[in-house]
This record gives sequence, structure tokens and C-alpha cells, in this order.
Amino acid sequence: MVRRLLDLAGIGGERLHLQWVSSAEAQRFVDIAKNAVESVRELGPLDRSGLQMEIEACEMTLNGETLRWLVGKEVRITSKGDVYGRLWAVEKYESVLNNMLEREYQKNLIYLAVKEGRSSVRDISTRTGLGLKRVSYLLADLEKTKRVEFKGMKDRKPMFAAL
Amino acid sequence: MADFEPRVVAFLCNWCAYAGADLAGVSRLQYPANLRTVRVMCSGRVDPAFIIDAFAQGSDGVLVGG
Repeated sequence: MVRRLLDLAGIGGERLHLQWVSSAEAQRFVDIAKNAVESVRELGPLDRSGLQMEIEACEMTLNGETLRWLVGKEVRITSKGDVYGRLWAVEKYESVLNNMLEREYQKNLIYLAVKEGRSSVRDISTRTGLGLKRVSYLLADLEKTKRVEFKGMKDRKPMFAAL
Repeated sequence: MADFEPRVVAFLCNWCAYAGADLAGVSRLQYPANLRTVRVMCSGRVDPAFIIDAFAQGSDGVLVGG
């Protein structure tokens, strides 16, 4: 999940390594450490300059309630069933989780862009790299949860501000 | 890029990978010095937010060892 989020944010999931080493396997640890350092060396240094907003959106997404609840309920939903008693296949759960991850991340990105002072849909779209339709769709969602506010029209364009 | 030395933050479980790293040190096995080790009591302690934070604060890669 984190790897997917890193990909979304443009950091690149391949910079994250996850490995299991037992305490008796010193040689294995050395191999893994070498491997990880070499692969990161090949990828080159991470250019953080244009990623400030993306990284902040990632943090907001991971600390947000929506994903924490969903992840916390994974075992229950896929083994016992949800509140309606429906049992979910793991693949279905994962696809829902991925959609939710993408959606929450994009919402947070839009929120940060609005906070930065980008008020029209076109401005937000150029700043975040998301399509116009997607931006206005998610803006409506942010408006409903009272995170952004509709500020009226200017040059026949709707303007928004962060709350 | 020959002169680039990556900074890799390693979250190591106290009981598994950290002990493994310790043993590697004791048995004098060479491993890259680019790792910045953070000892955690269990790899389950590593919050996804830690990883993002590591990237935000200047690491080029993250290794989670359990």
C-alpha cells in the first residue's frame, strides 16, 4: 500500500525495501543491505524540490481516518464479513483499498493546492497534474466534508478556498 | 553516477534484523555504511507515516527489516 502511494506521489515504490531476516542470518542481512543500497544508488538521489506538496499529501492520507479504518478492518472484512454479513474476496478488498488510497491522496493534494492559493479548477489541475473533471469531482467531495468552500464566481469561473 | 552515496534509512526489528546486523558486525562481515539504522522493537511498529517521513527528511531509500 505504501509502495503504491509512493508511486502515486512520484517518489517511486522501488525505493522502499521490505525484507525478513532472522537474527542468526548475518550473511543474509549483509546481502540484503548491499542489495538495497545498490538499487537505491542506481536510482540516483531523490529530488525533493518539487515533491513537498506530494509528500505532505501522502502523510495526510496515511494519517487520515478513512484509510486507517479500512486497513484496520481488513481481516474482519475478508474472513468474517462486513457489517452486513457479506464476506469480501481479498482481491475485491484490495481493489477497494487501492481506489480509496488514490482518491484520498488526490483529495489531500487538491486540498493543499487550494490552501496554497490555487482557487480555480484549472489552476488546481495544473498544480496537481490531475484532470479537470477529476479535480471538480473531488472538489465537490471536499466541499461536502467542509474542507474547502465555494467562494463565488469570478470571470464566470467558480473559485474555492480552503477551510 | 559514481560519486553518489545514497542515504538509506533502515528500520530494523530488535529481535530479527537488528540482531542479524549485530551478528554481521561481530563476525566482521562488510556491509555498506550508507544505512542509517533505526532500531524498533518489532517491524510491526513501523508506521507507514515513518517511511514517508524518512523520504521527506532526506533519505533516498528505506529498508524495513523484520
